[in-house]
Amino acid sequence: MIALILRRLGTAIPTLFVVILLSFLLMRLAPGGPFDGERPLDPATRAALTNAYGLDLPLHEQFFRYIGNLMQGDFGPSLVYRDFTVTDLVAKGLPISLMLGGLALILALALGIALGLWAAVRAGGSVDRSISMVTTILTALPSFVTAPLLVLLFGLTLGWLPVSGWNEGAPLNLILPVIALALPVAGAVAKLTRAGLATALSEDHVRTARARGLSPARVLLHHALRPALVPVASYIGPAAAGLLTGAVVIETVFALPGLGRYFVQGALNRDYPLVLGVVTLYAALIILFNLFADLIYGWLDPRVRQ
Amino acid sequence: MKVPLIIVGVIVAAALLVPPLLPWGYDVIDWNAVRAEPLTGTHLLGTDNVGRDLLARTLVGTRVTLGVALAAALVSLVIGVAWGAIAGWVGGKTDELMMRIVDALYALPFMFVVILLMVVFGRSILLVFIGIGAVEWLTMARVVRGQVLQLKQRPFIIAAEAAGAPARAIMTGHLLPNVAGVAIAYLLLTVPQVVMVESFLSFLGLGVQEPMTSLGILVKEGADDMDIAPFALLLPGGILVTLLVCLTLAGEKLRDRFAQ
Repeated sequence: MIALILRRLGTAIPTLFVVILLSFLLMRLAPGGPFDGERPLDPATRAALTNAYGLDLPLHEQFFRYIGNLMQGDFGPSLVYRDFTVTDLVAKGLPISLMLGGLALILALALGIALGLWAAVRAGGSVDRSISMVTTILTALPSFVTAPLLVLLFGLTLGWLPVSGWNEGAPLNLILPVIALALPVAGAVAKLTRAGLATALSEDHVRTARARGLSPARVLLHHALRPALVPVASYIGPAAAGLLTGAVVIETVFALPGLGRYFVQGALNRDYPLVLGVVTLYAALIILFNLFADLIYGWLDPRVRQ
Repeated sequence: MKVPLIIVGVIVAAALLVPPLLPWGYDVIDWNAVRAEPLTGTHLLGTDNVGRDLLARTLVGTRVTLGVALAAALVSLVIGVAWGAIAGWVGGKTDELMMRIVDALYALPFMFVVILLMVVFGRSILLVFIGIGAVEWLTMARVVRGQVLQLKQRPFIIAAEAAGAPARAIMTGHLLPNVAGVAIAYLLLTVPQVVMVESFLSFLGLGVQEPMTSLGILVKEGADDMDIAPFALLLPGGILVTLLVCLTLAGEKLRDRFAQ
């Protein structure tokens, strides 16, 4: 198990390093510098600023400085949110984005596994076919369409739930964003569970369990579901990426003060440190989630531990 | 598979043929009909919040979205097939390195990378599809590599090699024709992926720019205005969803047909 973790870290750390290097170089390639305003700066001021931010150093020294600062949790100043550093914005926004994503992941897993189980029990029947259709539609529906539609239905027409806003994380305000974020992932989880169960149910150990006269429910939940969840576990990494990406839109639609919203503002206003910081942070998070998925994978299927 | 493809065909035909026949252009403002209801006056499906014809805008937006999607999908097809075919054919250390790179890229938050590209190089349609195409080729590369690995063992390829055919001739004459079916199935599945990415970016204001329009921009405009005029959200949203669902269904059917 430890060997597995070490091996994964052995690829994860170089990947992360390359991401940071590439994003750093891209930023430096970009036309226009941070001090190019409408009015040209006085040369002395400009030199002083360039020196203060270390922009006169050779490129590789700037890069190692940036890495060094990153290690200490310093992402640099934000150019759009003048009074904040990127680290401040991350500290404010990330917990909200993670909470949204976490709740959506739980909902997506619960809903997806339930749908997948239901379809597998009725394999080949009309329920199976309808669920397969529904899950395809769920995965094809982008959250920036479902979110406004949900708001239109439950917020504006029926008036049951708040249309938008954070409201200090009141549960009612979270319902629609979490649902909109979870639906596409739930569709994918349902498909994977259904396919995994189809394979698991035809395996020898399941046939043996049936032959021993165990109840169908016990065979399904105890013997077939665990191996069937292996593909679901390996999907957790991509799902985390999907949820973090989806959160960008959801936070914009529902006006939630998460990191995704700061990121969009930063991207629209070319706030390089903010964009670079968020991309690096999200790459690290997704690599971490992939590692986590591998661990669950090893726990569900002991054969991979070797 | 036929029904979804026919629906897509009808939408594409409408997007290409209908706009020139309409009395209003997609960017013409009719000050006398701001937020007109559907089926009033000369605006068949009403107007948006500044009086632009909704039907014309939606059809032109569909055209832009599908155009970008097709271009990006072709970019991803070229990169993916080349990468996968070379990795699978050469094999050994080269294969391992090339597929390691694909694995590493898979782990990236690619939407954020595309946004990073937009931020750095400015927002233009050209860049939107090059950027998307450049990150959407990974699955294609994996699938093509798998196919090439299988084909390499087949007698007709071994025979061609034994007969002294040059590698390039084997590649273009024997391998690529046999990979084409699967590649087309995945191309069909890439198109809705790219449509999704393009609309996502445009929705956030990072993709296609005004006065040009796309389904993502129209959904965004409709969502901003939906408490007054829900139809402006429902029309482009409905077209976008129909396209995504139909293309995905058709692509999955085609893929399953080649996957035996």
